[in-house]
Amino acid sequence: MVNVIDVSGICMADGSGLSTNFSAFLSGMVVPLCAYAAIATSLLIGAAYMFGTATANARLTTWSKTEIIQLFISLATIFFIIIIMNTMCSVNMQEVAAMFGTPSQPQAYTNVYAAAEDYLNESALYTHDALTVVRYHLEGYTILAYMNAFACEDFGTGVGWGCLFGYSGDNLQPLGGYGALSGALSIFFNALLIAMFTVLNYIFILMFVYSGFVFLFLPMGVFLRAMPYMRSFGALLIALALSFLIIYPLVLGIFYLMGSPGDILLSPPPGLPPVASYDESIYPQQAGGTIAGQLTQAAFTVSADQVKDRYFEPNGANLEDPVGAIEFASDAFIAAVFLPTVALLATIATVAYLARLYGEEIDLSRLTQLV
Amino acid sequence: MKKILPLVFALALVSLSFAAPLWETYAAVAVTAAAALLGVVYAIGTGFGINELQMMAKEEFFQLIALGVMVAVFVGANSLIDGISTNPLFTTQTTPPATDLQQAAIATLNSNIADTSTVLGYIATMDQEVSENASASTQCTAVGVGYSVSTCGGYNLLATPISMAGGIAGFALGEQAAMMQLIQVSSEYSLLLLLPLGILLRTFRFTRGAGGLLIALGISMHLLLPAGIIFGSMLGAEFLAAPTSTGQGWNGGCSYADCPYASGYTASPSAPTVESCNAADITGAEDNAVATYQNMRNALDSYLYILMVEATLGPVIALLMFAAGLRALTALAGAEIDVSAISRFV
Repeated sequence: MVNVIDVSGICMADGSGLSTNFSAFLSGMVVPLCAYAAIATSLLIGAAYMFGTATANARLTTWSKTEIIQLFISLATIFFIIIIMNTMCSVNMQEVAAMFGTPSQPQAYTNVYAAAEDYLNESALYTHDALTVVRYHLEGYTILAYMNAFACEDFGTGVGWGCLFGYSGDNLQPLGGYGALSGALSIFFNALLIAMFTVLNYIFILMFVYSGFVFLFLPMGVFLRAMPYMRSFGALLIALALSFLIIYPLVLGIFYLMGSPGDILLSPPPGLPPVASYDESIYPQQAGGTIAGQLTQAAFTVSADQVKDRYFEPNGANLEDPVGAIEFASDAFIAAVFLPTVALLATIATVAYLARLYGEEIDLSRLTQLV
Repeated sequence: MKKILPLVFALALVSLSFAAPLWETYAAVAVTAAAALLGVVYAIGTGFGINELQMMAKEEFFQLIALGVMVAVFVGANSLIDGISTNPLFTTQTTPPATDLQQAAIATLNSNIADTSTVLGYIATMDQEVSENASASTQCTAVGVGYSVSTCGGYNLLATPISMAGGIAGFALGEQAAMMQLIQVSSEYSLLLLLPLGILLRTFRFTRGAGGLLIALGISMHLLLPAGIIFGSMLGAEFLAAPTSTGQGWNGGCSYADCPYASGYTASPSAPTVESCNAADITGAEDNAVATYQNMRNALDSYLYILMVEATLGPVIALLMFAAGLRALTALAGAEIDVSAISRFV
């Protein structure tokens, strides 16, 4: 059974390297599995060498010599990965930010793995904020658009005589004209949903990597790389483990430095009211929160503008900013889709590069199409 | 290897000579570490008689030289990049002239976003006026008998094109806002973080792909994206200055001077008038609906420049330049990356 580790527990909190849990996972699960794979592979290679010597088959003995070196390379790679992970746990992103003199810097110590996770979490939160703002506008326009008003016929007297003995007058939808803005915002609402799913998907990939499952590729890679006709597949497994354990968090960690508090990347557009102003209620709860109270207030509302203000100016400040909402949505797309996609592309590029290094070249164009 | 080993250390020393408490110091450490690793790999290759390892060490050594060149070029290239950035060809496209390419692009984008927001505002206002008129109906009921008539129903057909226009304007606005975000991020981080970190990561073989991509991303975001925006703006200015931009004459082949519909492409359109509808005046309501439609039709091509040329074609050109540059530069930086996924965002 696979030991799934605590997601936040890869590194020690003080930056002194891999955490106790993760080290136990490595020494109790990954290293023994790799050792078994190496022993099994060595036995096979040894048997092939003996058989080759016994039958004077030069091809077999040459193959055995080659593969034993490849086996050492595979094992060295595993230790290399562990050393690099240990180093990445010790790297303080605050110091990296200070080294490059970025305009704003992380508030507290954080390592590369935590920084990568933080970047995606913050992007997801940012996207959710944008979604809240766009949804608030869309909801407001939808509610307001369906408001009906009836003006009793007054025959020019100012008194609604038309309704005195019957029901005569003009029907109006005074706030019916939000089709254009609803059309514009709907596009971004849908795009934000996709962005939200995308960034959650990226978080899931990261959690999957952090859960340690990708480590199981290593023993399989060690064994398969030495098997005839399986070199490329084994190389791919090792390359996947190496890339997703090192490159993917590293590139996301770099983007984390660009999304520190106060930076442009994860800040709402200037001029937009605070996201907390866009609460989740359909109508502000000003009348005790009851439907009857809301209806009573609506009944005594005398103009369409007042109805609109009750939604978009519940506390006096104007919340209506469709242009700001669209800009917010676009910014969220950059933070939650574009940059994490770049990180994944860098990872896939490294997979291709390493697969070529450890085995033969593998066409990963299909994989990139998943992005 | 014996001949080139001193070169490795010379390279490391040259890198160390930057000796500032900045990333150059770390680059020097990276070069030294990479050189040491190469030495170990070459030694193992020699000791065990593995030609592949020796070959790999030699190949990597050339990559190390390439890194040294990159570090040197980067240190010197700041002025080169600044030279491109502050070239008057780019910076004088805005009024007042910008200090560099990025600021010129930001000013251009700000202007375009303001234009598109204005257009979206006009469309939204028009939509509200048209919809309010369209919703008007009059009814008369007495003693359970009566009638209801939608006198201003003629305005209803205008709602669909207005809604589509709102969608197009909103999309154009979002596209430009996203580009603005990219340029602002690149202004702060391309040269400061992405490029040096890319060079650092490119030192080691297993991070070469990521390093190459970061280098390409830094340069593309810093130079090609803003340059694309300026080019788009220049194309737009040429287009507006061309005689054909004053009208298409598409209404039955009339000449522009006589053509009552084509108002000509312009960078500053105005809102068409929406005639009020009186629900009690059946004949007048219909005439007013037709008049509103004609006002909108007359104003149509004045909106096209901003929505189609300035806010759609320009950004597409800029983003394609960015994506194409990214692809070319990743290959140049030693990381063959299929960036078609990014191109599909366009």
